[in-house]
Amino acid sequence: MSRSSYLKPDTIALHSGYTPESDHGSRAVPIYQTTSYVFESVSDASSLFNVEQGGHIYSRITNPTVAVLEQRIAALEGGVGAICTASGMSALFTTFITLCSAGDHIVSSAQIYGSTATLLRHTLKRLNIDCSFIPINDEHALREAIQPNTKLVFCESIGNPGLEVADLPQISRVANQMGLPVVVDATFATPSLCRPIDHGANVVVHSVTKWMGGHGVAVGGAIVDGGQFDWAASGRFPELTEPYAPFHGIRFWEEYGPSALAMKIRAESMRDIGAALSPHSAFLILQGIETLSLRMKQHVNNAKQVTEWLQTQEDALWVNHPDMESNPSHQIAAKLFPNGAGSMVCFGVVGGRAGGAAFIDALQLASNLANVGDSRTVVLHPGTTTHSRLTPKDMIAAGISEDLIRVSVGIEDISDIKADFTRGLRAAKRAAESQIKEAQ
Amino acid sequence: MECTIRGAKTYAATGGKDFNSQLDTVVFLHGTGLDHRCWALQTRWFAYNGYSVLAPDFPGHSLSEGNPLTTIEDMGNWLIDLLNTMGVKRAHIVGHSQGFLSALELTRQAPELVASLIGIGTAAAIPVNPALIEAAQRSSAEAANMLLQWGFGQKTHMGISAVPGMQPLAIGRQIMSDNPIEADLRACAAYTDGEQAASEINVPTHLILAGQDKLTPLRAGLAVARQLNADHSIIEGYGHMLPIEAPKQCLQQLRNIITKT
Repeated sequence: MSRSSYLKPDTIALHSGYTPESDHGSRAVPIYQTTSYVFESVSDASSLFNVEQGGHIYSRITNPTVAVLEQRIAALEGGVGAICTASGMSALFTTFITLCSAGDHIVSSAQIYGSTATLLRHTLKRLNIDCSFIPINDEHALREAIQPNTKLVFCESIGNPGLEVADLPQISRVANQMGLPVVVDATFATPSLCRPIDHGANVVVHSVTKWMGGHGVAVGGAIVDGGQFDWAASGRFPELTEPYAPFHGIRFWEEYGPSALAMKIRAESMRDIGAALSPHSAFLILQGIETLSLRMKQHVNNAKQVTEWLQTQEDALWVNHPDMESNPSHQIAAKLFPNGAGSMVCFGVVGGRAGGAAFIDALQLASNLANVGDSRTVVLHPGTTTHSRLTPKDMIAAGISEDLIRVSVGIEDISDIKADFTRGLRAAKRAAESQIKEAQ
Repeated sequence: MECTIRGAKTYAATGGKDFNSQLDTVVFLHGTGLDHRCWALQTRWFAYNGYSVLAPDFPGHSLSEGNPLTTIEDMGNWLIDLLNTMGVKRAHIVGHSQGFLSALELTRQAPELVASLIGIGTAAAIPVNPALIEAAQRSSAEAANMLLQWGFGQKTHMGISAVPGMQPLAIGRQIMSDNPIEADLRACAAYTDGEQAASEINVPTHLILAGQDKLTPLRAGLAVARQLNADHSIIEGYGHMLPIEAPKQCLQQLRNIITKT
């Protein structure tokens, strides 16, 4: 059971947000491929525009197929509502820009996805929104980083690619005490493994492109409003508590209370930024979500076996997964991820950067690509791709070494994954031996 | 808007427009553990269509300060204080569940203030299982969990929402978990004078009832409708939390009733 539903997660994943429609009895969620919706009357149109009734006006703001996905994700995460967006990055940008204005400040974990780091470090900087990057599980560092103009604390539940698990109860306690909401990117976890709202987080963001979809055929994002942050008591959010001029002076907090943020995102950010998810993509993501927990069990099981197997291979110099005791956040992972902390595994091979390149190029089953959470196993060298824009110092802070290979372990038969990686390790070994010969 | 009733800061939503006591006024009264937000959609329509609106949070609920009222009779009396403070001479009173019981008492005590009385998802008495009161004594969150499970109809339990993207169960849980449910439930349980109050009332009355109501079953709503000699309408397919579950259907009924009264 989540805070949003009395149904169990597997049932939510299949049913929540939709019952067979009356016209045709369609069992599957229909794709409402339309830009707009006919109003019953002028009065009906006026009511919709003035939020006197729920309903659809224009698919940039809401769409029936997208709404099913939103309600399903909100139910899975235990939120009061969700807004789906065109991508995970647009979900993050929409969240940040809804909560922050010029002159504001964000505190972020240093261990985050490279494009998110770039958004926080460079793009938002152009809008005069500043960001401090800290080791997020260091309570003292968190308290020290918070400024009078700070608007939120951001982290990933499992950091990319350092695989540090954020201590969500501690981060939420400190941030909430200081009047700040905690925004968590839970892409690597999915609600199948960890629901951040249950651990005190206030807003959850997903790239649903990844494990939520699982098929790798549609890009999308989601923002889930936990509904439990007191925007008025914080005193830092006049955007939510004071009259909002473009909407007849509406006060979102007074009017909508727990769903104030979700309503503000819908009314302002989706209207103005327009990062809407297409109904067809929403339909595709829904197909993936139906089997989310089944897939996550296999992902986690395979990741565990890959991790254990790599530790026995002499050409794999080191291995990292949050469930390993050597991972600094292992104990937090055990607490927040009782069923396993995801299916991302990082490791280094002999031969350094050249060995890593040889490993990846030798693979025949796993794909070298810039995505994770596909049902198929995928690998990447973050230092030269997703995190290549970071400085060497920032790269170290983000937990990235030059030899790091990032694996998103898929749900293939584990013996085939091991066979493929055996091929890669042999290639890495040959590359290392060549380096030695050249050096001699 | 905020005002002071009996020395306590009291919040009342006005539907997004400034309150004007010179206009026809519609007062919306929330049920057990809830607050003005259960009327978010309906209040805006009336406020933007020529009416003044008040949707107060009862004392100790959400944005209103003060101790929670302990009897339905006192809730009715408190409403008289509210209307007098706001300069309202006469108003349409809309009450959901427990809110309707307090409206009954308001109407019995000061019929001159009531232009019409509309009950939603309600009955003349709302008996409360002692186990629910015990749960509320332990924590409002525990009682809210029980009330939400029984209060919402099947559609909401399947994650269907009148407002795209929202989950009414979680919104209700968040609002109710911090409100004084125990006091509300005890007041409901102790109130046995509803039938008598109904027999004394002589104002236009209408009941909007839910086909899947488990908390105030349809037959109990129909019974009070007969006692009040009231019109009634039934919204099928929804549970006790009609203003939240079926806001559009509720609004349509309210528009039909109030604009014609």
